[in-house]
Amino acid sequence: MIRPLAGMARIGLRFQLAYRSDVIMSVLALVAQVFLLRMVWTSLYGGQGQTRGLSLEALLAYLSLANLQAFATSPIIPRITHFRIRTGTVFFDLSRPTGYLPQMAAFQAGHTAGGLLMLAPAVPVVLLVGTITPTAHPVGYAATLALGYVISLMMSLLICVIGFWTLETGAISLLYRLVSHFFAGTMVPLSFFPGALGVLADALPFKYMGYVPAAVYVGHISGGEIGRAVAVEVAWIAALAVLLWAVWRRAHRRVVIQGG
Amino acid sequence: MIRVESLTKVFRRPRAFSGPLGPLRTLVTRRYDERTAVDGVSFEIPEGEIVGYLGPNGAGKSTTVKMLTGILTPTDGLIEVGGRVPWRDREANARAVGVVFGQRSQLWWDLPLIDSLRLVGDLYDVPAARFTGSLRRMCDLLGLDDFLHTPVRQLSLGQRMRGDLAAAMLYDPPILYLDEPTVGLDVMAKQAVREFIAETNRIGRTTVVLTTHDLADVEALCRRIILIDKGRVLFDGGIDDLVTAYAPPRRLVVELADDETRAFEIAAGSSIPELIARVSAEHTIRDLSIHEPDLESVIKRIYAESER
Ligand SMILES: Nc1ncnc2c1ncn2[C@@H]1O[C@H](COP(=O)(O)OP(=O)(O)OP(=O)(O)O)[C@@H](O)[C@H]1O
Ligand SMILES: [Mg+2]
Repeated sequence: MIRPLAGMARIGLRFQLAYRSDVIMSVLALVAQVFLLRMVWTSLYGGQGQTRGLSLEALLAYLSLANLQAFATSPIIPRITHFRIRTGTVFFDLSRPTGYLPQMAAFQAGHTAGGLLMLAPAVPVVLLVGTITPTAHPVGYAATLALGYVISLMMSLLICVIGFWTLETGAISLLYRLVSHFFAGTMVPLSFFPGALGVLADALPFKYMGYVPAAVYVGHISGGEIGRAVAVEVAWIAALAVLLWAVWRRAHRRVVIQGG
Repeated sequence: MIRVESLTKVFRRPRAFSGPLGPLRTLVTRRYDERTAVDGVSFEIPEGEIVGYLGPNGAGKSTTVKMLTGILTPTDGLIEVGGRVPWRDREANARAVGVVFGQRSQLWWDLPLIDSLRLVGDLYDVPAARFTGSLRRMCDLLGLDDFLHTPVRQLSLGQRMRGDLAAAMLYDPPILYLDEPTVGLDVMAKQAVREFIAETNRIGRTTVVLTTHDLADVEALCRRIILIDKGRVLFDGGIDDLVTAYAPPRRLVVELADDETRAFEIAAGSSIPELIARVSAEHTIRDLSIHEPDLESVIKRIYAESER
């Protein structure tokens, strides 16, 4: 069981490295984004010490981290699945002894690892721009981030599976990208969202990919709240697992391979 | 090895609507378009046989192959491959079959060929020593060494097809489905692919179902063919039987003095010299030849009859 997944992860990693120039471009975009956010927020704070319990330093650190995380975990498999369904090559993925979803999950994990490798040179720059200092909650940060990654992975798998119905995930994955980045809090921390929007953002799982771990890191979420966040993440993972399983079973039954 | 009985596949798609809101209506509609791609096909293939699975475009060949691999679930009928029902026992079936679709590739487009081959070794859990041996054999048989480390997108069609054949056979499956494995290849590449198929069949007693529009493939590899059209079996038997049963009469083709060419059917049992004498009595013959019916003309005739 391990070997097929390791093989698939290796392909994901190689795939990421094969598009090196793309990654370099997006690393540049990441650095630029963090830099621009820093300018905007510094001017918005206008010398105030704290806003909603966040100092400017903590906010800048938060934004850098949240963007770094969102970048590193951004999903590739909806695009891969979209392409493979459209061209019918998904036939081969489905004809393997290993399940389609485990294959895609492993591919995504390898791809993320490749992204981290190439991101490494940019990390010091982003940390510097965000003036990030060591965290008081390293374990809480690692835990919320790891679980957040699993949630992000499962959401991506869900998008992939939807593709088996619509035979088209291009528009859906674009929408997903926009929505997930916004509600992950990469531009504005979720605690700044007003009224209903704040409630919505809090109810959605996207915050675990950006806001929650980054807020834990800078101390905006602390104490018992960390434990609660971890518990809710585990609940999300369980719920998504059930949902994925149910949706996949139905998708599998109605698989159509295009072209002949 | 393979048993198929009254196999049927009906594709059911939500009706497509036109107009600005068309896609939305398609998404919520309860009206469906149905299309019967395979319509009550039955056949049996014993171990170690190479069978040509032939038919005109849209006959239902690829759909049958997709059901044999267990990817598509039949609407009706029965399939057994090596004693298993493919769509119910997908995992075991997956280990037992290799598939090549000439029109599409299982190789990762952006990565060197070797990466895709290694992936196959991992996915089917081929022990390292056996993998090395298999790969060596594939490289020798198919001449992969020259482009093993080239990204697949830079390969020519023939090179890519050889890579795909290797990927389908690396784990030594006892059954091989080949759907147009020679499409678009030049004569030399076709020859290489045919030799590979023959060799695989000879050494490993691999059972092969071969779909192709190139009858030279069939003549080189198959003794038996199954002909289908519109999802139904038209003929199942030896090539020789097919030719005897359906062959059109031989023809005498003459070129006349005024550059006109005319053909005369040679009725079974009639005398050719007599026919020539009769023709030359009326015309001045400059050249003549006798055309034997070939597999192509036989199959053309069957397709044409099934059209009616
Ligand atoms: N996914 C699908 N949805 C609806 N109809 C389909 C689908 N796939 C195939 N068909 C229809 O089923 C019929 C058989 O198609 P199939 O691909 O099996 O033909 P084929 O014998 O492989 O033809 P070719 O020689 O052109 O490859 C065709 O009429 C085709 O339009
Ligand atoms: Mg076909």
